[in-house]
Amino acid sequence: MFDQTIRDLVSAAADHAEIRLQRGEAHRVSVLSGKLVGNVSSRSAGAMARVYNNGVWGVASSCSSDETELRRLFAAAAENASLLNARRPKNRGPLGSGAPVFYEDRRVIRKTEQKQLIDFAMALDSHIGGSYPGLLSRSVGLIANCGQKTLYTENGGFSYQIFPRCYAVVAMSVDTPDGEPVELFDVFGGGAGFFTDFYGDPAALYAGVDRLYTELMQKREGVFPNAGVRTCVIDPAISGMIAHEAVGHTVEADFVLAGSVAKGAVGQAVASPLVSITDFAHTAFGQAAPLPVRVDDEGTLCADAPLIRDGILTGYMHNAESAAVFGMENRGNARANAYSDEPLIRMRNTAIHPGTDKLENMIASVEDGYYLTRTQNGQADTTGEFMFGVTSGYEIKNGKLGRALRDTTISGVAFQTLKTVDMLSDGVNWDFAGHCGKKQPIAVSMGGPAIRCRVNIGGR
Amino acid sequence: MEQLKQIASLALSALTENGADQAQVSVVRGEVEEYNADAGEFSLIRSVFTEGVAMKAVTGHKKGTFSVNSLEETEVLDGARQCVEASLVGAPDEAVAIAEKEENRDFVSGVTEPDKAAFFDSLIRFTEDLKAEFPEIMLEQMIASFSGGKRVFANTNGVLFTEADGSYSVSVMYSAHRDGASTSFNYFDIETLDPNARIMDLGMCRTMFGRAVAELDAAPFNGKFVGTAVFAPGALPEVIDVITGAFTGDYALIEGTSPWRDRLGQKVADESFTLSVLSRDPRLVSEENITSDGYLSESFDVIRNGVLKAFCLSDYGARRTGGLRAKSTGSVAVEPGEEPLADLVRRIGDGILVCRFSGGEPASNGDFSGVAKNSFLIRGGRIAGALTETMISGNFAAMLRDIRGVSKEALLDGSSVLPYVAFGGVTVSGKD
Repeated sequence: MFDQTIRDLVSAAADHAEIRLQRGEAHRVSVLSGKLVGNVSSRSAGAMARVYNNGVWGVASSCSSDETELRRLFAAAAENASLLNARRPKNRGPLGSGAPVFYEDRRVIRKTEQKQLIDFAMALDSHIGGSYPGLLSRSVGLIANCGQKTLYTENGGFSYQIFPRCYAVVAMSVDTPDGEPVELFDVFGGGAGFFTDFYGDPAALYAGVDRLYTELMQKREGVFPNAGVRTCVIDPAISGMIAHEAVGHTVEADFVLAGSVAKGAVGQAVASPLVSITDFAHTAFGQAAPLPVRVDDEGTLCADAPLIRDGILTGYMHNAESAAVFGMENRGNARANAYSDEPLIRMRNTAIHPGTDKLENMIASVEDGYYLTRTQNGQADTTGEFMFGVTSGYEIKNGKLGRALRDTTISGVAFQTLKTVDMLSDGVNWDFAGHCGKKQPIAVSMGGPAIRCRVNIGGR
Repeated sequence: MEQLKQIASLALSALTENGADQAQVSVVRGEVEEYNADAGEFSLIRSVFTEGVAMKAVTGHKKGTFSVNSLEETEVLDGARQCVEASLVGAPDEAVAIAEKEENRDFVSGVTEPDKAAFFDSLIRFTEDLKAEFPEIMLEQMIASFSGGKRVFANTNGVLFTEADGSYSVSVMYSAHRDGASTSFNYFDIETLDPNARIMDLGMCRTMFGRAVAELDAAPFNGKFVGTAVFAPGALPEVIDVITGAFTGDYALIEGTSPWRDRLGQKVADESFTLSVLSRDPRLVSEENITSDGYLSESFDVIRNGVLKAFCLSDYGARRTGGLRAKSTGSVAVEPGEEPLADLVRRIGDGILVCRFSGGEPASNGDFSGVAKNSFLIRGGRIAGALTETMISGNFAAMLRDIRGVSKEALLDGSSVLPYVAFGGVTVSGKD
């Protein structure tokens, strides 16, 4: 009955309109050197109405979603759109929604128990504390969230999707011989599922934690890079960041409209012919993508968005409005995070396609350069100039790995750097624990192979 | 406010009845009216109505927190039950506590009756001013809003604070474009209580837009030098975040990673440098009445004339380390100097003006490297050509000891006071 009421309400709109209901639970546990410092859980629910009017939007949201409130929200959204159209009209005419899309996620939501997370995190912390007594500090964080979205569109479309996600983060620090602390962290296990899908016995993570500790102890003796433009072999952890930050944002159609470097560049060579990049919807390279999205938050059926094919820029990522402006296909990149958020053009699972080279051969091919293995954060702007913090890496001297590196930064201009790519490894690794911070923080995944290229590296 | 007080009382009772030894609650109700512009055109008006309860239970020195965005009685009672359950399965920590009793107060500040129509008019005028004065600037995105609300903070020690406040804010991301050339984006935020304010006159709007236009002639820097970097107000938060986090924050002091862990009362910076955290100040729009831990907020100095005066510890961090909690978690202010920026640049001679910094998370000892965005070379005592693809690196702790000057001019954007600060010992490197 309530379902029909919403359908009737949204279908009364003169042009594109949505009502989205969301519910979510979030759990976070943090252990710092044996102490449980974070034991946090939350529940949220709410509704958003969005109405299009001649090129502008009106939105209204509330944490209540009963019938009276939905009517109030829908009226407020329509009023906002009407006010904006009256004061600052864009005169783009009707948008519409095309054929309705129907999708219902039939997975069953499993409850996450806070105790499970605490016990797991404390056990993992205890192992680290007992195994590596020389550490200056250690921390374990567990995150387990699950959101549900129900979307109604004015053309009769309906979708229901659930978005479970969990991951564990381990960080360690140690003093260098000169008394200055160095740190490393990594994500262990997890993905687009529930806690018990990925985590059982903490001992399953011990081998990975051992590798992190080994790298930390190498970094303890590490050196700063020789600053300047160098030949680097970049691990998937960082090449995925290039796909997302340095390329992905420049080809989001809203940034293109604002004058990004990709404006007018479709059909042009922007990378080495070896490079292809796609924003995958739900399936990538024959497997489920790390954060699958089936229907976007405007009610568009999601499809892969090819961005670069064999070095040629092939297209942009769109919402319904920008696809109409550019006359391009809308592949469902409109995503909203919280119930109160309006959909924005967002990436989903963005990756560089793999090549045919072996990582060991790529390293062996470098006479004097660096092998960069971990990143912490990244930022790029609409010119394509990017920066990534690099927390782990090694010198390469005469084709062999040398001393470990201390924290540094790499930078470049995406479409120039990608033209220097001359080797790609034959596998793809994904990072699914990241968030993109474009107005609303939203879960994204990014991936790629190892690549060999020339980048500017910071140092002393 | 009375309804929020009743819900706070209900939640506290439920928390104790479920077994909490101590409990605190924060009950909020608010609204946001947001105006967006994208690619130079208004695109959206959004109305957001929010409410919720955040709860903390301490049971046998074990802490649990739970929040729910509803003020429905059933939701609040269920949330209280889950909060206590979470605390029961937690791990004991003697440092876990709630705020001690102080004089209960009711605060009203800022805008409680917004004039949304007048604010919308001001935003339209801003976009028109921008087109008229800086036609080469593309307003990539503007997010402007009125945010206001009411809040009740209460705990089982008898603390009961109420707050009602509101303000207008404008967040702008922009770049310059000419004949197919474009600059890196830059951004700034402004907070005001005046819905009729001419936004172009606030903060450093004209300076920043003017510099963006100058960036259209930017060129890559070739070479490498170690010299003076003048951090503009837009870049200075990078330094402040390291001071309040990696050098004086909870994690750094609990874990002992701070290079200043034993430096309280000692000189850690040049004597020209004073950094304060302000609960309120005539130069600020933002006010903080209650800290995030539930104490009355009072302004304090982190560094006064180069001497480390206080750490930025939470109540928990203070109890873990045996230190003193920070008296405020409000706005930051770096005390401006006496020397005009032009004189400071003239005195420095050669160096770099860093207007925005895009870098990796600095190491806990203050080592950093990153890209100097929207930045300019300083040559012959004046601000010269704009730069692209230029990296800077150094150590923030060493730079604070090597301050070459603090400008008289300061950015007053409503929520901070930030002058230009010149640091020595910064490595600047370009493409070759």
